Amino acid sequence: MSNTSLSRRLSALLATPTVLLVLSSIVLYLQIERMNDDGAWVEHSERVLARANDAMVKMVEQQNATRGYALTRDPGLIDTYNQMHPEELVDELAKLVANSDAQAQRVADWRKAFAAWSTWRGPITEVKIPTTEEELEKEKLGRSLMMLTRQRYAQLVAAERLLRDQRVVTARESILVAKRTFFALMLGLAAVIAFITRRHVLGIARDYGQALDGVHAANAKLEDQDWINNGLLRVAEVSQGELSVEELSTKVIGVLAQLTGAATGAFYVTEGDSSRCSGVYAMAFSDTPARFRTGEGLIGSVVRDRRQAVLRELPSGYLRLRSGVGELDPVTVVVQPMVVAGGVFAVAELGFLGPVRDRVLKLTQLASESIAVNVRSAEYRQRLSELLVETQRQAEELQAQQEELRVSNEELEERERSLRDVHDQMAGQQASLEERNEILAEQRAELMRSQELLTQRSREIAQASRYKSEFLANMSHELRTPLNSALILAKLLADNKPGNLNPEQVKFAETISGAGNDLLTLINDILDLSKIEAGKLDVKPAPTPVATVASSIERLFAPVAKSKKVHFSVRLEVPQATTLETDPQRLEQILRNLLANAFKFTDQGEVEVVIGAAESGVTFAVRDTGIGIAPEAHQLIFDAFKQADGTTSRKYGGTGLGLSISRDLARMMGGDVTLQSEVGKGSTFTLTLPRIYTGQRSAPVLEAQRPAATTTPVRRRSGDSAPQAPRVAGPELGFVDDRGKTHEHHRLVLVVEDDVAFAKVLYDTAHEQGFACVCATTAEEGLTLARDLAPTAIILDVNLPDDSGLTVLERMKRQPETRHVPIHVVSAHDHVHTALELGAVGYAIKPIVGSDLTGLFSKLETQFAGRLRRVMVVEDDAVQRDSIRHLLQSEGVEIVGIGSGREALERLRSEPFDCIVLDLKLPDASGFELLETMASDTAYAFPPVIVYTGRALSNEEEQQLRRYSSSIIVKGARSPERLLDEVTLFLHQVEARLPAERQRMLRDARDREAIFEGKRVLVVEDDVRSVFALSSVLEPKGATVEIARNGREALAALAAGPAPDLVLMDMMMPEMDGITAIKEIRAQKQHAKLPIIALTAKAMRDDRDRCIAAGANDYMAKPIDVDKLLSLTRVWMRRG
Amino acid sequence: MADVDPLVVDDRDLMRLLDTVFTEYSYDFRQYAHASLKRRVTQAITRLGFADCESLRQGMRASGTVFTQLLRFLTVHVSDMFRDADYFRAFREQVVPALATYPSTKLWVAGCSNGEEVYSLAIILREERLLERTTIYATDIDPECLMAAEAGLYPIDRIALFSENYIRSGGQTSLSDYYTTGYGNAVFDKTLRQNVVFADHSLATDTVFAEVHAVSCRNVLIYFNADLQKHALKLFDDAIVRRGFLGLGSRETLRFSDHARTYAEIPGGQRWYRKL
Repeated sequence: MSNTSLSRRLSALLATPTVLLVLSSIVLYLQIERMNDDGAWVEHSERVLARANDAMVKMVEQQNATRGYALTRDPGLIDTYNQMHPEELVDELAKLVANSDAQAQRVADWRKAFAAWSTWRGPITEVKIPTTEEELEKEKLGRSLMMLTRQRYAQLVAAERLLRDQRVVTARESILVAKRTFFALMLGLAAVIAFITRRHVLGIARDYGQALDGVHAANAKLEDQDWINNGLLRVAEVSQGELSVEELSTKVIGVLAQLTGAATGAFYVTEGDSSRCSGVYAMAFSDTPARFRTGEGLIGSVVRDRRQAVLRELPSGYLRLRSGVGELDPVTVVVQPMVVAGGVFAVAELGFLGPVRDRVLKLTQLASESIAVNVRSAEYRQRLSELLVETQRQAEELQAQQEELRVSNEELEERERSLRDVHDQMAGQQASLEERNEILAEQRAELMRSQELLTQRSREIAQASRYKSEFLANMSHELRTPLNSALILAKLLADNKPGNLNPEQVKFAETISGAGNDLLTLINDILDLSKIEAGKLDVKPAPTPVATVASSIERLFAPVAKSKKVHFSVRLEVPQATTLETDPQRLEQILRNLLANAFKFTDQGEVEVVIGAAESGVTFAVRDTGIGIAPEAHQLIFDAFKQADGTTSRKYGGTGLGLSISRDLARMMGGDVTLQSEVGKGSTFTLTLPRIYTGQRSAPVLEAQRPAATTTPVRRRSGDSAPQAPRVAGPELGFVDDRGKTHEHHRLVLVVEDDVAFAKVLYDTAHEQGFACVCATTAEEGLTLARDLAPTAIILDVNLPDDSGLTVLERMKRQPETRHVPIHVVSAHDHVHTALELGAVGYAIKPIVGSDLTGLFSKLETQFAGRLRRVMVVEDDAVQRDSIRHLLQSEGVEIVGIGSGREALERLRSEPFDCIVLDLKLPDASGFELLETMASDTAYAFPPVIVYTGRALSNEEEQQLRRYSSSIIVKGARSPERLLDEVTLFLHQVEARLPAERQRMLRDARDREAIFEGKRVLVVEDDVRSVFALSSVLEPKGATVEIARNGREALAALAAGPAPDLVLMDMMMPEMDGITAIKEIRAQKQHAKLPIIALTAKAMRDDRDRCIAAGANDYMAKPIDVDKLLSLTRVWMRRG
Repeated sequence: MADVDPLVVDDRDLMRLLDTVFTEYSYDFRQYAHASLKRRVTQAITRLGFADCESLRQGMRASGTVFTQLLRFLTVHVSDMFRDADYFRAFREQVVPALATYPSTKLWVAGCSNGEEVYSLAIILREERLLERTTIYATDIDPECLMAAEAGLYPIDRIALFSENYIRSGGQTSLSDYYTTGYGNAVFDKTLRQNVVFADHSLATDTVFAEVHAVSCRNVLIYFNADLQKHALKLFDDAIVRRGFLGLGSRETLRFSDHARTYAEIPGGQRWYRKL
């Protein structure tokens, strides 16, 4: 509109001067034309004058020529005369003045006059000088004629001059007129243009102003439109995806409130004739009515009217809005129905703290349709999903019916078949049945008889065996008494003090003495064996330092070695101070037996005793370089009396009872004797004894008597009575730190600082930084806490009352449990270099200001947050190693490939790893050995291990590996996928698992209970998960857990060792189930009182009854409830 | 009640009956799908010669034998070896290779019925040389079924179908390698069940007994109502190791369950799901 006006105005503005100019140009042109005409007439006159003059001149020339000729008769003058044609000029002139009659007349007159003269004169040749009067007279006429001609010429010229002057005046006048016209025109033009331009420019200015206003308005409108569009886009964005009605409601109301700046909002979906609140923003569901009927309340009426409602300037208290800082009153409420296809699908209510802008209303209005569509879709989806579930249900029902039909069908067929069969067989069977019945009755009677006989026999045998043992015990005693006298007397004889026996007699006496001694040994052995078998032998445990044992046997056998010229040594691989809680006499007896054997069968080479550490005890390995034992005889030699049959004994003598007694003794003391041997290369008998004898007949075992596992004082338990450096009491902390609450935190800082005030500052800062904090005031306490709590970081003071912080630092870095923990040192003195060299992550010199503290914490934080995850891959094949590396490589993970067990151990000693992938086949050691070494020595870190093996594992191997590794992967087509899976899991779980581990450590320390301490629990269970659960509950309490994987193994375990204090028996197991196992155990007399708790996945009363009937003492349902398990165990555990 | 047809079992009768079954015999059928149960109870009333539901209830209360007979009706035991050959093919081709990465594996056949499925799986495991390393837990609520399953004895006229299924499921030899026949029956190689633990276990009342690498539970959930289905699936989920497998019947699905997002259906796997 304004555009056309503007262009019209602009064209008018341009056109007006153009038109005016054209007009004035025309006027001026016409004027100039006139001026030109006037000028032409002046020129015309000049030309007429010039012609007239020329003609006059020629006339005069002719006259003169005539005269001259007359005088001179010069013929040249005739030519001159002939050349002059004044008449022609006059004719021309006549043409020129043809426009003016007066002048034409004059020219004609002039011509006539000249013609008269010409006629008068005649031809030139006849002209003569007047000599006569007549001639003079004639001459006079000629002269007057000429005069007339001249006169006529003068008249013409005068008239023409007059004319010319008139014409000049006219021309001048027309120029003047032109000038005036020009000026007048210009002035008029300027005035007109000025006027018109002014009008138009004003108009344009007005139009332009109007246009600008329009543009501003349009811009604002655009901006609003843009905002609305963005808002619509956001609403559309959040409504995307397959959301449920509730999710959609919450999202939509949230985004609407955020977009519009509403303080609160609620979203209702319509259901039938009511609306249900399905989402809220910044208010609680309870703050808003859950449901409105259509037409009821504001929401209801909006649903009915399908129109937006806006309530402005609401009274205070219409709706209270709670925020964190107080309560507010919305003043404006907008209620928007969401309508699509004529139906209201939802209503949004928005509350504002101030007035609302129109665009807000518009946005809610515009968004409403798409929201309605989305709500409708969500409802459809929900409905669809319900229908699908229903369809699924119907499909299932159909399938069920089909199955039932099949059953009926099969039943019918079966019935028909059997009916036919039965019919056929009935007759025949009848007879044979009766016959068979009789035979059966007979057989049964027979069976009963033989059974009775058998029972009696076995009773008799058992009794005979007991009689035998008792008889032997008595008998050998009776035998020994007389034998002793015989021996003493023989000895006296052999000594030959009086010197009255000849050498032969002495030799006889010595033979008697030797034979007697052999006999005595045999009797002793028989006695021991029968005592053991009769259960009469007691174990009397006492603290037994291994060093004493070593020196005693060394002393005992050194002479034998010397006499046999065999090298003999005793080597201690355990710390000197190691002490066993066992029966020293029995121990020595076993060792004596083993050594006597060794020396007996060794003629050259050496015999060596190596005392080493085993998993929970001490081993005594007696190694010789003697004749060795064939593999098939390995088991045989331990059986009593067996050896007497072999040829060996005939050559080497001996009763053959020694080994059998040794093994029985060892087992009585909770240990065992094992053999490794090869014919011709010697044998190694290994006696393994637990550190603490836990047999039921032993005296109560005290924690205090337990020896320290290693000599490092750091590892000592606080309850140990072993000598300690005098404890230095640190200052009282004076505030409560996070001890005991630590399991609630993933991030824990340990502060070791004796300046309590500064410790408090650190404690507070730690809290600010989101760490939990525990404070220790002495070095000793710091070390203990560091080990027990496994903090994420440590802040360590150098000046501590009992020890230097630097020593603490060094010790922490040496312990595998604390090695990885970042330690920050603070001190009043400068030990920066030493501390950093020892492995501190940072050093701060006191006094420390606030910002330094924050820096210190963030430094610690980065240490454990952004740390590289390190995975060790132990695999001897370089190609495999590389492929595993490629498989596992990812950002933030460092893969360390290692080819040998030795190198792996070295690295584990010095570097932290998060996870190990281990191949079992290594060039220098098997994976099993590697794992055992890692487990046996605390100098090695023991991260989670994933065993990645190419070979199938036996059950025993798997069981053995399970102790160290929870994931074992057998290489195959799908194994890389699983390896990746497991490693990823470990790396991600490292942090997640830490708190639980820490929790367990804390529990470990507190939860040891006397009733569990030193008790042995046999867990019979094939499920690894349950085994782990049970052990993780029982072991921290101080009990030892033994594992059998099925009933058969349980029976074997019971047969092999001393009875456990409690058996936890799973019911569902392969090979032999729990019920059978319990029955079998109860069938053995010695286990009649063994407490057995049945574990079952079954939960019905009769299941329990079945367990109890089988002989279980109690019963527990899976999954295992820790508290219940503990109370049950407390109830049933054998009291020590 | 006398006025109505005694054979029409209404919800109240059914619930009373099931309550009695539960209190007297500890079998919990209360959450089984009622439509199916009603049909089966009706069938039982006729076949066992009772007048109506109530008299059946009384009879069952009085005599355990009646209950044992009723139990045969309440549970549906019907299956074939390698039924739905594709399911077993998927087991062989998709599940077994993953199981082979474990040094030893455990498989739970829940609702093993008369053992057809157990032997089918055992045969596949043997052919894939995995049986020695596998323990199979075969559970059912019906002790008679368990005994039948343990016997591994099937009428010879069913074997033809079994063999066809076996071939279609990708069997490597002939099914006859695994059974011997006689007296109208075929008995399956007892070494197949060497590592099978047959146990009485109810998905309604009992809990998880072991961690397993795969669960196969086919055409069992169809008899359960939604709550019991949910409960059973939770049991399976508790038992299955991370990345373990769950196999269901052809009309059963995880799609609408709580576990829809934690299990992925194996493509073309015929109702084999893998835990994520």
